[in-house]
Amino acid sequence: MTRLSIEALEKRFDAVRAIAGIDMEVAQGEFVALLGPSGCGKTTTLRCIAGFESPSAGTICFDGDDVTGLPPEKRDIGMVFQNYALFPHMTVNGNLAFGLEMRDIAAGEVQRRIAEVLGLVQLDGLGERYPRQLSGGQQQRVALARALVIHPKLLLLDEPLANLDAKLRDEMRFFIRGLQKRIGITAIYVTHDQAEAMVMSDRIVVMFDGIIHQLGTAEDVYDRPATRAVASFIGLSNFFEGTFSGQVGVHYGLDTALGRIGCGAGFALTPGQKATAMIRPEAIGLASAVPNGAAAFQGTVAERYFLGNLADYRIKMADGSVLQVQQPATASFAPGAVVHVILPADRAWLVRERAP
Amino acid sequence: MSERPARPTKLPLGLLLALPVLVTVGALIVVPYVNIVIMSFRTPSTTRPYAPGFTIDNYARALTDSFYLELLGDTVRLAVMITALCLVIAYPAAYHLARTTSRWRGVLYALVLSPLLVGVVIRSFGWIILLANNGLINQMLRALELPALPLMYNEFGVVLALVHVFLPFMVLPLMGAIQGIDPRLEEAARSLGASRTKVFRRVVLPLSMPGVQSGCILVFVLSCGAYVTPALLGAGRVHTLTTEVVTMLDQFLWPRGAALALILASAGLIAVWLWAHFSGRTMRGLA
Repeated sequence: MTRLSIEALEKRFDAVRAIAGIDMEVAQGEFVALLGPSGCGKTTTLRCIAGFESPSAGTICFDGDDVTGLPPEKRDIGMVFQNYALFPHMTVNGNLAFGLEMRDIAAGEVQRRIAEVLGLVQLDGLGERYPRQLSGGQQQRVALARALVIHPKLLLLDEPLANLDAKLRDEMRFFIRGLQKRIGITAIYVTHDQAEAMVMSDRIVVMFDGIIHQLGTAEDVYDRPATRAVASFIGLSNFFEGTFSGQVGVHYGLDTALGRIGCGAGFALTPGQKATAMIRPEAIGLASAVPNGAAAFQGTVAERYFLGNLADYRIKMADGSVLQVQQPATASFAPGAVVHVILPADRAWLVRERAP
Repeated sequence: MSERPARPTKLPLGLLLALPVLVTVGALIVVPYVNIVIMSFRTPSTTRPYAPGFTIDNYARALTDSFYLELLGDTVRLAVMITALCLVIAYPAAYHLARTTSRWRGVLYALVLSPLLVGVVIRSFGWIILLANNGLINQMLRALELPALPLMYNEFGVVLALVHVFLPFMVLPLMGAIQGIDPRLEEAARSLGASRTKVFRRVVLPLSMPGVQSGCILVFVLSCGAYVTPALLGAGRVHTLTTEVVTMLDQFLWPRGAALALILASAGLIAVWLWAHFSGRTMRGLA
């Protein structure tokens, strides 16, 4: 179990800055996802941690020991690649033994560890197969076993589920997370799939254009996104632009084209400042009559889509803007109906336009 | 009942498409080879291509005379040496070419092929200008008051010139094989604790064996059959079976020459088969 600390990490490829000012602390046994669109620097960050890229600046420490200058083979990491990267000329046993042989572990112990890890990933009896004789899901588990059998300090996973079909991917999320918890290994997981990151991780690092926009739990990034980019990338959002009007009770006021909206904020603003609030479609309430005691805005149902468990509405507001609203499918508002839109202040959140 | 015009019986399309190749190969390879085989059993004569009657004496002589056996040994030894040198020199270049993303890649590729851009005779004369006893290199050595070196009229010059020209035949198959190896396999190996040397020995080399195999076979076969370079750079002082075959032809001993050529071809085939078998085993063993 290892603690990972990254400080002021930067990587330039010629003139292009791939990542800059990456700071993070990962606790022992923690599962952290690096989440972002392609080209955001999440893979570069992982490759710096693994030692495949040498950073242009900054330090990487495992348990307080600076490993920034160490080659990958001296870092004691287990890595799972997107395409699994299993050695095609070796059997499953050969693949699993490879890392142990590099550590000069005695043959008897190698056999014991291989049997143990094959049990762990539920592949008992497949040791003599070659990778090409295994299904995608099985190859995935061999790759995981090969990374774990060496008892590494850190488990690094680079989009390991991207090549699996949807159903298997869903199963593997819980399988990998369960295994990581059972072993108690510290894990860094790169993905562009927000659902994957939310289901699997203790904390999520959301990255855009080489910098960290937010580092927090799934609830943090979903309910209290730091920036507009985070809010748009994770889940669905409605944005309201307006002028900050200061504190109103426990919340803050934002004067928008619709009127004043109550919202929360994670950073300091001064009254009169331009600001943006976001609210999730399912947080918005719809009512046919004017509700008591809640601020409501009148709108017209423009479209309604049935999603099974939810109904997805487009509500045209007085100022011409269109809100996306999701409600349980049981309540139903027909297109053309006039509705009252409730924007709960404890579900609206002020977001920054840029990363802090 | 409508009368359909009778369709002419036609050759299958596949055969039709293969016809030009079949004719060319038949006329230029099969027929001459058959002719060589027949020739090798004819009775030699010094005044005309062959005398009447058939004999196995040509083979018996070649396989019992220690002169020819030594020549065969020398030829194979030289070919093995050239092949081994080509492999050692070509591998790093092939690896670099396969992995580089540099914009000089095209230039490097052209450089690898450059020995083939010059015809064999001109290339050999080029080497002679460099390597002769009063050639460029020895002139420079003398100017520096260093002793001159015997650079040609010996195996050194022949091996050097043949390694030079056969390098592309080693680099290209190696490059193809290495390009087929996912670079992430190397990264996976390193993440598991393998040093660069171990990554090479355990991952890259075994997975590039098909390229090693075909490159070696190409260079070996070409080396066994090389004639112009050994003749010009050896200048009569380096003897291989090919130079001997040509000597026989000059002496009008066509049947003897044919037998020698076939013995060389068979020896080459056996060597290639042994190598393919052995290296295939190594491929599995290395894993």
